[in-house]
Amino acid sequence: MILKPMKALTALALLGALAACGNEGPGVVTRTAQAVLADRVARAQGAPETTAPARSDAERAAEALRVNPGPLIQVGFETLGQTQIMAMVGQNGAMRTYMTPSEEAVILRGGMLVGTRGLGRDLSVAEPGTEALIRAGRAGQGTRIMRYLSGDGLERPLQFACTVAPGPQTGLMTEDCEGHGTRFQNTYALEGGQILASRQWVGPGLGHVTIATLRP
Amino acid sequence: MRRSPLLRQLLATTLPLAVLTIPGAAPADPLVARNMSAYGMPGGIDTPTAETLPEGSLGATISYSDYALRNNVFFQVLPQLTANLRYSRVDGINDFRNDGFIWDRSFDLRYQLFEQQGWRPAVSIGLQDFLGTGVYSGEYIVATRQVTPNVRASIGLGWGTLAGRPRVIDAADLGGTANTSDWFRGEARPFGSVSWDVNDRLTLTAEYSNDVYQASYSNGGFFQQGSAEPGRLNFGASYRMRRNYQLGLYTIGNESIGAQFTVTLNPREAAYPSGLEKAPAPVRPRPAPAADPEAWSPEWASDPTARPVLQKVLADALAKEGQILESMTLSATRAELRIRNNRYNQQAQAIGRTARLMTRALPATVETFVITSSADGLPTSSVTLRRSDIERLENTEVGQIAAATDLSDATPRPAGLIQTEDLFPRFRWRIGPYFDLGLFDPEEPLRYEFGAEARASYELLPGLIATGAIRQRAFGDIRQSGPGVPGERGRRFTPEEYLADPSLETTPEGVPRVRSDTRMYAGNTSPIIPELTLAWFAKPSDQVYSRVTVGLLERAYGGVSAEVLWKPVNSPLAFGAEVNRVRKRDFDARFDFRDYEVTTGHVSAYYELSQGFIAQLDVGQYLAGDRGATFTLTREFANGWRVGAYATKTDLSAEEFGEGSFDKGVTFSIPISWATGTPTRERAESRIRSLSRDGGARVEVKDRLYDKVRDSHGVRMQQGWGSFWR
Repeated sequence: MILKPMKALTALALLGALAACGNEGPGVVTRTAQAVLADRVARAQGAPETTAPARSDAERAAEALRVNPGPLIQVGFETLGQTQIMAMVGQNGAMRTYMTPSEEAVILRGGMLVGTRGLGRDLSVAEPGTEALIRAGRAGQGTRIMRYLSGDGLERPLQFACTVAPGPQTGLMTEDCEGHGTRFQNTYALEGGQILASRQWVGPGLGHVTIATLRP
Repeated sequence: MRRSPLLRQLLATTLPLAVLTIPGAAPADPLVARNMSAYGMPGGIDTPTAETLPEGSLGATISYSDYALRNNVFFQVLPQLTANLRYSRVDGINDFRNDGFIWDRSFDLRYQLFEQQGWRPAVSIGLQDFLGTGVYSGEYIVATRQVTPNVRASIGLGWGTLAGRPRVIDAADLGGTANTSDWFRGEARPFGSVSWDVNDRLTLTAEYSNDVYQASYSNGGFFQQGSAEPGRLNFGASYRMRRNYQLGLYTIGNESIGAQFTVTLNPREAAYPSGLEKAPAPVRPRPAPAADPEAWSPEWASDPTARPVLQKVLADALAKEGQILESMTLSATRAELRIRNNRYNQQAQAIGRTARLMTRALPATVETFVITSSADGLPTSSVTLRRSDIERLENTEVGQIAAATDLSDATPRPAGLIQTEDLFPRFRWRIGPYFDLGLFDPEEPLRYEFGAEARASYELLPGLIATGAIRQRAFGDIRQSGPGVPGERGRRFTPEEYLADPSLETTPEGVPRVRSDTRMYAGNTSPIIPELTLAWFAKPSDQVYSRVTVGLLERAYGGVSAEVLWKPVNSPLAFGAEVNRVRKRDFDARFDFRDYEVTTGHVSAYYELSQGFIAQLDVGQYLAGDRGATFTLTREFANGWRVGAYATKTDLSAEEFGEGSFDKGVTFSIPISWATGTPTRERAESRIRSLSRDGGARVEVKDRLYDKVRDSHGVRMQQGWGSFWR
């Protein structure tokens, strides 16, 4: 049976009228359908006008510093083309968890990226065997293990051979890693063994992030 | 350090990737198929190759030409074993319906004997349409080799259809059983194909095929499929879109053009492998005792107001996580939380998040954390953790916390267990649309029905649940109809004929119609009650679970169902028993019953084998009073994907059973969270089975214990540990 356009519209309207309701909220299929539908409608009507002019990263950082008394970082996700300001929500020894207001998280240990959460293609945990070299500002080689939750539900490690070397400027260290047919470079700006700013590789899904300390 | 079984298992699962990193080793090339054949198997156009798909790949190919419309579902069961279930409209063959085509089911298996290694090609052996003699029956051995980085060549030897010598089909055969005596017999002929990957997306294929597309029957019938016998050379092109889709165009001989479309899902490839759920609250470590002696004072435990406040705080925090804190015990050094996970596909994730919330809420003296999983009121397993381990191991490799964890049977009624206030009775309801599909009807392979459904459940106490649903059809073309008229293939009794003569509810062979009249329950235009039950789940001892369900159990039967299950938490073996006393419901699917009552029952054994296989054997009495056994083998992936196959053989003869000879089917279950990344326990489930027959039929009772209990038991927990710190 082929639905004529009018009939299809009626069917769609009926679907809308019948959209599930209950005291537990809609199911995931309904939610997804609603999201897709809303997206289509929005596109059909043209992109909505932005109500306020986009603020620069610097303005947002300044506001975050004013509102939030605790440690803050600014994280740029290169593949997503987004910059987020994250506030520290927990500290366990040297490990700090920073979150966005929408509850996506980055976990750092003394500035070194050890994990991400809530981003879909997260880094479960990084075990950088090069950390001591980087903090000491010494050249050398080490192994870096990055663990990810794979599509089949298991945590799987990727192992990389890394070379640490001083960067082009004083206070900069670079870490070149290779393995599993891929290579990436991490860059760290250090002061007294502390990583103040960095550009680090999260994983095959998320690519690089740049991390700047707004308030340590 | 002594490695626990859990840790060993985890290390084993991480090994395959580790092997890849050893330099110098030359692993065998698995020759992953880039092109699916018109039969929905890795291959050329009509001919097979020795290629395989990534393990676990599940997909469908629809191919259409003058010769046939083939709907294929394929599954890579093991790295070497490929299976295919096909439902084809074969054009040019006439049966009693005189439609000019027939609908035909067929089943293929292919096993790769050797992978390609060094100079040696990959070699596979296969059976095509091997249950009963069918239009496509044939066997083959085929070798495939990568000749250049872009070109693969295959050469093989075929029998039956693949040799252009189709076997004579027994017109009286009921199908379903393998004719092993025919396999690899008769004249054999070579076939071959070459495929060239033009680029990442486009593959061109040429093949030499012997198929003459003819069918002959033992009653003298001879048919040329399509309009004419094709030539021997076929050419094709296939184009891949994104990762999962493939579009193909091909020629069969000189005359005919065909097209096909393939969708493939691989359980190892998820769009959002780590999920899109919000980040968990981090661990809140305790201050050092010396720095804050007051925080470490156990005095709080003697304050009667402390426990209710802590329970409220934890219940609220868990509710935001989609979990219910059912009850809790608390002492100065130990806390047990009973949680019902309503959100996360992996129970380990629910437990990991609960553990972190406990570090944020409980006083410093509480060192032992026990998190007991509750499956709708049934306490199924207890995870015991040391709080200092949680603090020490936060966000480390999951193997470490797994090794520091103890998984044990949950004690049904521990002393001091206090239920969370205002939780029960618990009422849930939902009103929404429903959509039903009817498949495999030879007259109209796809039927549908659309309407509204109201569903509600009322949980009086944990484990005592009343559930009901009511449906009203809006529109659709699923219609009420009687069973097939015996001896007159293709004709069905009308509902009126069937209702008028009660003797029709038994087949001429004397088998009560318990499922073959299932369409009498379809197509109601007035409201129906698909189910209305009261279920009671209980746990008589640490390792024994029980269920009693009373009411309208399913569309066609109502009565009482009782089940017990013995399942120790870390044991791969489980035993169960089920007894049902049921009466056949009237076709209006409301409160009336018909004149058929039966006792069915089974004893069951379950065993979790390695590599995610689960075997289940049920022995007992089925709905028609027939006795026999059902064997089910399911492949389960750590992410919860399940693909299974089952077969039932009872003491009904093949003649009494009818077409298909015995009951068999395939089941699929895919977690929605795998597909969307959204945290949810919902699943997309489907079952493909043989025709609705009366032999080997069972009552479809909801919430059988095994699946309910297993989610928080040994194997599933081990598989899911990767989600603990998620």
